[in-house]
Amino acid sequence: MTEVKSWTTRRDAKRERLAHAGSLLDGKFAQTEDVVALLEHLIKPGDKVVLEGDNQKQASFLSQALVRVDQARVHDLHMIMSSVSRPEHLDLFEKGIAKKLDFSFAGPQSTRISQMISDHKLEVGDIHTYLELFARLFIDLIPNVVLVAADKVDRDGNLYTGFNTEETPTIVEAAAFKDGIVIVQANEIVDKVPRVDIPADWVDVVIPADEPYQLEALFTRDPQNITELQILMGMMAIRGIYEKHNVQSVNHGIGFNTAAIELLLPTYGEKLGLKGKIVPNWELNPTPTLIPAIESGWVKSIHSFGGEVGMEKYIAARPDVFFVGPDGTMRSNRALGQVAGQYAVDMFIGSTLQIDQFGNSSTVTSGRLSGFGGAPNMGSNPTGRRHSTPAWQSLRPAGDPLGKGQKLVVQMVETFGANKKPVFVDHLDAEEVQKEAGLANVPVMIYSEDTTHIVTEEGIAYLYKTDSMAERKAAIEAIAGVTPMGLRSNAQQLADLRARGIVALPEDLGVKRGQAKRSLLAAQSLQDIVEWSKGLYNPPAKFRSWS
Amino acid sequence: MRTIWLFPGQGSQHPGMLAGLPVADRQLVTQVTGVELDDRDYRDSVKTQLAITILQMAQVDQLKKAGWVPTAVAGHSLGVFAAAYAANVISKADVLAVVKRRAQLMQAAYDPAEYGMGVILGLTRREVEDLVAQVDGPTTPVCASNQNAPTQVTVSGKKTAIKAVLELAQQQGATKAKLLNVPVLSHTPLLAGVAEQLATTLHKYELHAPQALYLANYNGHLVHELDPLAYDLSHNLAYPVYWDTMMDVAMELDLQVAVELCPGTVLSKLLSSKCHKIKRIPLAQYGIDDGLYLLDKWQK
Repeated sequence: MTEVKSWTTRRDAKRERLAHAGSLLDGKFAQTEDVVALLEHLIKPGDKVVLEGDNQKQASFLSQALVRVDQARVHDLHMIMSSVSRPEHLDLFEKGIAKKLDFSFAGPQSTRISQMISDHKLEVGDIHTYLELFARLFIDLIPNVVLVAADKVDRDGNLYTGFNTEETPTIVEAAAFKDGIVIVQANEIVDKVPRVDIPADWVDVVIPADEPYQLEALFTRDPQNITELQILMGMMAIRGIYEKHNVQSVNHGIGFNTAAIELLLPTYGEKLGLKGKIVPNWELNPTPTLIPAIESGWVKSIHSFGGEVGMEKYIAARPDVFFVGPDGTMRSNRALGQVAGQYAVDMFIGSTLQIDQFGNSSTVTSGRLSGFGGAPNMGSNPTGRRHSTPAWQSLRPAGDPLGKGQKLVVQMVETFGANKKPVFVDHLDAEEVQKEAGLANVPVMIYSEDTTHIVTEEGIAYLYKTDSMAERKAAIEAIAGVTPMGLRSNAQQLADLRARGIVALPEDLGVKRGQAKRSLLAAQSLQDIVEWSKGLYNPPAKFRSWS
Repeated sequence: MRTIWLFPGQGSQHPGMLAGLPVADRQLVTQVTGVELDDRDYRDSVKTQLAITILQMAQVDQLKKAGWVPTAVAGHSLGVFAAAYAANVISKADVLAVVKRRAQLMQAAYDPAEYGMGVILGLTRREVEDLVAQVDGPTTPVCASNQNAPTQVTVSGKKTAIKAVLELAQQQGATKAKLLNVPVLSHTPLLAGVAEQLATTLHKYELHAPQALYLANYNGHLVHELDPLAYDLSHNLAYPVYWDTMMDVAMELDLQVAVELCPGTVLSKLLSSKCHKIKRIPLAQYGIDDGLYLLDKWQK
């Protein structure tokens, strides 16, 4: 008699694993002190494991436990992580508990991960942008076990993830409906959660942590560190891009350049008469530097990828602006935020470390593998987009009957960066890193073909207006200042490009360099921002320079 | 609380630095090496290396006696030996024997009148390497050596070759390019033979797996196993000290405090330009008592 094929192997395997851990579980609940034993029972060698590893939120109790499992029982795991942030994330590989890694961002561990790759202690599957990694959780990186963090869990196992929901729903969904095991560390077990972010039906195991999950304030920028060059560039961007293209929706990449723009809206933007005319809608983590603009009536809505430590009371008091549940606390969602950033915003504007002669940019430098995070997604033109807005449509190429608009992707940099080294280079360091790390392709962050504008302290290059690579290169050289690349440009070329509107200098935009003063910022310090927020914003200790 | 202990090499030694050194430690040096330490005169590299090392090991003892254990250790050049001692890799007496041999081998290798080191500020490593390539040759040996900060590179080799590189560096826009006053040549492949001899010496002593995270000079990597650590001890003098990379890794280890052992405060200063998150305790500035007070205070 022929063997009957089983179609429930995953379901059966899951049931067996949970049964095997039965003595450690009371329903869905485990004891804090049993965490290592639990992981040893529920994870098998070679498993695909997602460990949270979000940008801000870290399931630190579970990661510190995972690194203590018996390597003879749990080894050669394939880790799938948005963000490699903590030292123990890499210790897993040193100890042979994990072998392979697919990830998106590794900024906080970029030196060590680069070294471990060259020492063959870690095998990289690939580096992704966030949304791309989430997508693969449903196709070819379907997890066996996911390790996530929640603020509060009720007696049934419903999760409240609050401000820092981030990628938890996405990760849990990939496991819950494909017989993966969902293990949650909880800050607190409560009788009733403020709201249900993830239903108990999706959750297998809940374990109270010994301390709250680690949370980093990554999006707070102290206005005192904004330079006058950044203010000048911010003024040019507002006039020469936000106003010119009538930008209604935007994502700001993290940095002091964009913090300057946020603080210039209530002052410089007001002076230009732009309030109510531009950027009512934002996809953005709740950065404190946007508070003055919010309070001044510039902002209608902000959807966020994650939370920001210190902003909780302010957000709860502004539910008209932020995405706040009926319980009064915010909900963030990185997957949906990345989708919105791809299809629903007019513009991405951010900074980078290097731009090459063609306009490709990267933050990857030799000896460091920081990965990509969300930038390749935010900084790319979605050709699947169909709806038209004035800004998107303003980039439509003339004379093409089948033409359509394009997302504005703006890179804003000073011509010289840290250590007084040129940002504009003939070849990105990333080209070397490809070889160092054995990557299939050069780790470019944002490609030239997607980059529509570059802003430097010298001026703006409207790259979308160029019609050849030669012209694109000339436009970049014209604003590259006295870097070796910039010195290739000459007065005649510049005049020609200005005449055709491909390059604009500050004076062409009506921006006087002398106007770019600190006093133009709506807030000079975090203390000013606390005042703007009427005392609702509560900066974390490390940002407090006053008592 | 996670701490890193930083161990400087030669350069900051000064008369009087051994004032607090326990008599037993001073006597141990003589017992093991036959050398009498002299706290007034640091012209001789053997005495200097032994003095710095015993001072650091005595301070390690004091810290451990007060209950502190390092999460990570990082030695700069000579400092790797006291770092290894702090990580329980090698005994105090054995360190002294090896360091004496190291210093003697280094002294005998090249005439310090002809060979030495220079420092260049304001150029990247790649830029310095390009300049070095223009000068380096069989009769004019010079190499890019220690990397203390992103644009702070030393060069090692024959002084005439070094001077030529410094000249080129000035023309290239270096903010500073000058010879260093070092007693012996160091951190160059010219010392490969010395390294091999030192390795043979080291091999005679019993070494144990490190009980702290160890940051290696020779490649700037974090090391967990004994073999690469032992290689660093014997061979670091033939390689650049990739200090800047070591500190990049240190910043990724979730450390709260960096304790700099004596002498000097160079390593704390370098760290402060790089990173504000890690608090710094240079023992040369605070003294051991205040240092322990701060460690206790910050633990809470």
